[in-house]
Amino acid sequence: MSAADLWGIMPLLILACGSVLVLVVGAIFPRRYGTSIGVATALGAGLWMLQSPPAVVTPTLGIALTPFARFLTVVFSMTAAAVLLLSHDYNRRRGIIGEEFPACVLFAAFGMTALVTSTNLLTLFLGLESFTFAFYILVASDLGNPESSEAGVKYLVIGAVSAAFVAFGISFIFAGSGTLEIASALRLAANGTENNPMVVAGWGLILVSIIFKLSLVPAHLWTPDVYQGAPTPVAAFLSAGSKGASIAFLLLLLPAAGHTEMLRAPLWWLSLLSMLVGNLAALLQANIKRMLAYSSIAHMGYVTLALLTGSATGYRAAAFYIVAYAAMSLAAFGAVAALSPGRGRDLVLDFRGIGYRRPLLGGILAMAMFALAGIPPSAGFTGKFFIFYAAIKGGEVPLAIFGILTAAVSVYYYLRVVVNLYMHDAASVAVSEGATLTETTALGAAAFVILLLGVFPGPILEMTATLFR
Amino acid sequence: MNSMPILSLITFLPLAGVLLLFFLPKESKGLLRSIALIVSLVVFVVSLPIVTGFQTNAEFQFNEFAPWIAAGPFQMNYSVGIDGISLWLVILTTFIMPIAILSTWTAVEERVKEYMICLLLLETGMLGAFISLDLFLFYVFWEIMLIPMYFIIGIWGGKNKIYAALKFFIYTFLGSVLMLVALLVLYFKAGAGDFNLMKFYELSLDPATQTWMFLAFALAFAIKVPMFPLHTWLPDAHTEAPTAGSVILAAIMLKMGTYGFVRFAMPLFPNATEQFTPLIATLSVIGIIYAALVAMVQEDVKKLVAYSSVAHLGFVMLGVFALNQQGVAGGMLQMINHGISTGALFLIVGFIYERRHTRLIADFGGLSKQMPVFATIFMIVTLSSIGLPGTNGFVGEFLVLIGAYESSLRWYALIATSGVILSAVYMLWMFQRVMFGELNNPKNQELKDLNAREVVIMIPLLVMIFWMGIYPTPFIEKMTPAIDKVIAYSKGKKLAAALQQAIPSAPGPAVMQPAILESK
Repeated sequence: MSAADLWGIMPLLILACGSVLVLVVGAIFPRRYGTSIGVATALGAGLWMLQSPPAVVTPTLGIALTPFARFLTVVFSMTAAAVLLLSHDYNRRRGIIGEEFPACVLFAAFGMTALVTSTNLLTLFLGLESFTFAFYILVASDLGNPESSEAGVKYLVIGAVSAAFVAFGISFIFAGSGTLEIASALRLAANGTENNPMVVAGWGLILVSIIFKLSLVPAHLWTPDVYQGAPTPVAAFLSAGSKGASIAFLLLLLPAAGHTEMLRAPLWWLSLLSMLVGNLAALLQANIKRMLAYSSIAHMGYVTLALLTGSATGYRAAAFYIVAYAAMSLAAFGAVAALSPGRGRDLVLDFRGIGYRRPLLGGILAMAMFALAGIPPSAGFTGKFFIFYAAIKGGEVPLAIFGILTAAVSVYYYLRVVVNLYMHDAASVAVSEGATLTETTALGAAAFVILLLGVFPGPILEMTATLFR
Repeated sequence: MNSMPILSLITFLPLAGVLLLFFLPKESKGLLRSIALIVSLVVFVVSLPIVTGFQTNAEFQFNEFAPWIAAGPFQMNYSVGIDGISLWLVILTTFIMPIAILSTWTAVEERVKEYMICLLLLETGMLGAFISLDLFLFYVFWEIMLIPMYFIIGIWGGKNKIYAALKFFIYTFLGSVLMLVALLVLYFKAGAGDFNLMKFYELSLDPATQTWMFLAFALAFAIKVPMFPLHTWLPDAHTEAPTAGSVILAAIMLKMGTYGFVRFAMPLFPNATEQFTPLIATLSVIGIIYAALVAMVQEDVKKLVAYSSVAHLGFVMLGVFALNQQGVAGGMLQMINHGISTGALFLIVGFIYERRHTRLIADFGGLSKQMPVFATIFMIVTLSSIGLPGTNGFVGEFLVLIGAYESSLRWYALIATSGVILSAVYMLWMFQRVMFGELNNPKNQELKDLNAREVVIMIPLLVMIFWMGIYPTPFIEKMTPAIDKVIAYSKGKKLAAALQQAIPSAPGPAVMQPAILESK
């Protein structure tokens, strides 16, 4: 291993060492420094990535700090830091104790970073499974809540099956090409022909796995249960981080594949069904976390719409949406977490009049709802705009019209939250004391990003434009 | 011409006011109200130079330009400017806002801070939409408007406020998202680049594309106008909204729809405009008659005024689609007239509702004996709404009907004329039942006449009613060149060649000629 190798894996080392450090320090000073070390580590990894020179390649490890990797590592590190800030007081109120929580968050960030930096199908697989592994624990970490354990089991079973599929799919592509390099494997396996059975089988299996991870319809049924059962900051992390990393997974493979025409038909239907079912089912939800789960299904449908164009414009729009959706998810789930006192039911009706009792948190939740509904000036609007821009440029006008109509339907359930926040008299339900300093920091940052991307999306757009050619 | 970024100033001053309000304590309601009022008055005063400095020609003026989003293929610009069409709508907005803020001075006692923030945000959104010359920018402002209005109806509204607020929001949003798709398609047809409106004007589209684009744009605008049969959100929204909300909704936000037709849908898609003129005219005329008939049987004064809005906007649409000087000028004028008269009517309904907490016609009667000042003002506004000669309503309706009669819409004009009579029937009948007759309800016998604040609110509106009724020339004069340009575009002529020659030599109405000469 050379110095360059070490340089290349430094962000991964920082996150992994931080994760271990949290556990070690936790053994000596229990329940004291977990969150602080975690936040420092996550921010450190992000900052390292910002300053590291571009395109450090370490072939022996299958890792490269491409612009894509650097961009998304910063996003996921920031997300992890925000989740840690949000979970600190939530966990205290809920009685979720132990250092394994921050350690797992860091480990998940490690997995996501490994995924986005990979140049090798095996590293890619390892990254995907490492962060999923961390989520198995995180989802079930609310030991006092049976729903959390139920969610954990569901997520574990689904995750294990999907891991098997993705490994199997990769093996097909390896068998077809004889190499694990992402850049060449898919193209070599295709061997110049469009419908090479090896590649079709490989893609098919990978797709089966990834639609579970992205929770596209018809592989979406685990999502509402897991989101509802998991501690709310974990649901935020699932939505902001896990979904983002799964999109990144496709963003690594699709541009390298060359021929993606055969994927258009399945992705078309997945996108259509996800937008339709996600938005319609969300209309019926009484629990805000379930509603946000269905909304995330719909949002992944929009992203799929951008991906299926198979164009650089589409990939850029998807990359932009990773950031936009991360900020919106963190704000929405974060505000729900900060509002929930001890054991809450998280019903939409419980938010009656909260906008006046807790103006800051209510305001951020309302803003997140408007953003998710895609109303300017917010990240949700610009994100959707670029997706539909890419879709129409790619000639997918009917699906774009369909998608935007479902988006119009979605306004109803997002506004229902706002209606309850501001237009009803206060419910006699207990709410939290109000946002603590850590929660305010994380939510403020998320809200800032939502507005920034809504009003001045230029810089991030420019960054995404350099990622795909 | 003018180095001050005056349009940006009036658009973003309310936003600065919002920031100021954020830092004020929510208990000091008087201070919050005063600051909001002062901000809106300052905006009005600052907006006056755009009238005095306006050159009477077809060009966009007071232009400002700044790159906004410039990354990769995207070029969205902050490009604003006004011509004779948007000029009066901008002024109408800045004129109505202080009145709207004053109108609920005492009626809104709860959450004053949030209320004033919503009103000022709304002003920024509306002004931004009127001055945008970049389609993306226009769309952003167009959507931003929805949020404060949604809160105004939903928080400070009446009994059915949540239903009305949601209906308003979803209806309008549904229309506008389809417009977004059309906008993108149009953008790619224009060969990408930026979203500059001028560029799209120069575009020649094939008729099939135009049809679809026009339908998508027209749906968004027709919902906002609202045209029959898409008007159902309006009576709910109007009835439930607080007075200021109703006034702004009627006076300004509905104009977004008609303005959208004049500025975007018609000039951008000339062939489709021609193709759909009979349909739009039919719906307008149905709207005029239907809304008048429905207004006649209303028991609630506010609902009656809301339906009268639908009828009035039908006239505007008919005039605009007549596509000749008189028709479009009448339509434009009628937009402003409707803003003033219907705004005033909603204020009047607000006055009696504040006193009696009912709006049912049956609960009133004989008020003129108890409230003579109120009766006088109400009478003037009613007559202006009917379109009595000497008041503003007459000029607009007359020009609309003349224009429509001289265009291909002759038969529509004849039917629409009966709408004028119907409007006299429902308005005067309502006035009679509320103001005349026996003052036999004991609660009505204790009513107090208008106070100083209420009279002050009404005076500027009354002045405008007579000014525009007796001497409308200055208003029409400034619009004329811009209207000619719109007509030229909407009839499919290309500006570069046609307009340069057509306008100076065009045999337009006499009013426009001296103005053109003066500006030369």
